[in-house]
Amino acid sequence: MSYQVKLETFEGPLDLLLHLIRENRMNVLDIPLAVVTQQYLEYIKLMEELDLGVAGEFLVMAATLVHMKSRMLLPPDETPEGEEPPEDPRTELVDRLLEYQRFKEVAADLAAREAEQGLRYTRGGPPLVGEVEGPLSLGLFELLAAFRRVLQRAEGGAVLEITRETLDVGQRLLRILDRLNAESPLAFTALFEGQRTRAELIVTFLALLEILRRGLASARQAEHLGEIMVYRALAPAAPEAVEAAVREVSSAPS
Amino acid sequence: MDPESPQEPMLAQPEALAILEALLFVADEPLPLDQIAGIFGDRTPDEVRCLVEALNGRYTGEASGLQVQEMAGGLRLTTRPDLASWVQKLNRVRPARLSRAALETLAVIAYRQPLTKAEVEGVRGVSADGVLRTLLERDLIRIVGRKPEAGRPILYGTARTFLEHFGFKDLTDLPTLREIEDLLAESEARRGTADVAPASDDSTSPDRESEEPLVSEASESPDPPTPHAS
Repeated sequence: MSYQVKLETFEGPLDLLLHLIRENRMNVLDIPLAVVTQQYLEYIKLMEELDLGVAGEFLVMAATLVHMKSRMLLPPDETPEGEEPPEDPRTELVDRLLEYQRFKEVAADLAAREAEQGLRYTRGGPPLVGEVEGPLSLGLFELLAAFRRVLQRAEGGAVLEITRETLDVGQRLLRILDRLNAESPLAFTALFEGQRTRAELIVTFLALLEILRRGLASARQAEHLGEIMVYRALAPAAPEAVEAAVREVSSAPS
Repeated sequence: MDPESPQEPMLAQPEALAILEALLFVADEPLPLDQIAGIFGDRTPDEVRCLVEALNGRYTGEASGLQVQEMAGGLRLTTRPDLASWVQKLNRVRPARLSRAALETLAVIAYRQPLTKAEVEGVRGVSADGVLRTLLERDLIRIVGRKPEAGRPILYGTARTFLEHFGFKDLTDLPTLREIEDLLAESEARRGTADVAPASDDSTSPDRESEEPLVSEASESPDPPTPHAS
């Protein structure tokens, strides 16, 4: 499986940590390092399996987490008289997370304003801007979390696959779009129905990521960790856009 | 009537409103209040603001499709937000919305400017190359100089299009970080999404208390707004 979803750098290690903290309902001021580190590494592993291009920053953070965990496991040294007790090794990371969280809030506010302002038109309108990569309407890690659940559920009946079949992300992409045209919204889990091999599941997930990334559909989650619903795009996708998508994913060297 | 002569009696309101409307119609960029005041010759920028309120009042009364919005250091005539779906039938392409990464990067730059690429990357924990390039291309950020340290890295700041894109009057119009939290709590309570039309049109009535814009020309380096830590 060498098809790589080009995600650029939408999400980084801090995003993943914030996602884990939310998913586990942790208090960012008192993060249980062992649990977080373990889950963080699991996500990295899954991302590598999906060939999502794990950037170096993720690995640096992994090393940082492991290092912090080990520091917290060491017995505390006797603090000499009059000296400050050693700082909680998590402090610096927590500060970074809080700061980043703050800016995420600002970004959300900016998004709302952008939408409001976009409803106004002026003479001599805005310059035409070329296709800009659409946002993954739902965060990558929310999608990964949902996919993990699908994988775990399938584990029970999954056939160990060494299949010769060329599993084509492009074809799956078309299949998904067809289904969406017939029925929208579709539940995320419904997209994987009937698929039994791990490779099939992965192909479906990658096809969905491509669809979302190109704005050919959008995904929403009513509540945290709830079912994700995939919606057909409001404007029917131009055939050229769909063709281009299929062509681009299929041309990835295999 | 010579508009430059300060001796002339003040233009009567109806006439002044008409002139203001004509100026705004022709302008294809936000028109600074000072410039309008200069054109009138007999009114201060604050008095021009009063005229704008009067004009907006008339528009509302007539259920006009237009509004005057104060933003990016000046005034612009825009269509009413609730008419967007009609205007879109003219097939006017709108710039695509910004990605989350772009918005977050912009947020960091807006509140912390001027800063280097490395400093931006420090906050988000990811490489900012692609995003910075996109933002530069869309004229939302600009290069404001270089940091006087080893390597003399480039410093970034917001550009004037940033203000227009988000409907800010000027950099001091950016909400304080505490206000952001309140705003988000509010909109979550309303179950609002980014696609909901604005609930109020506060943005159209000029704010009497707003300070003079810090940025009047895109070429001037703005003072960074003080990020209020709460």
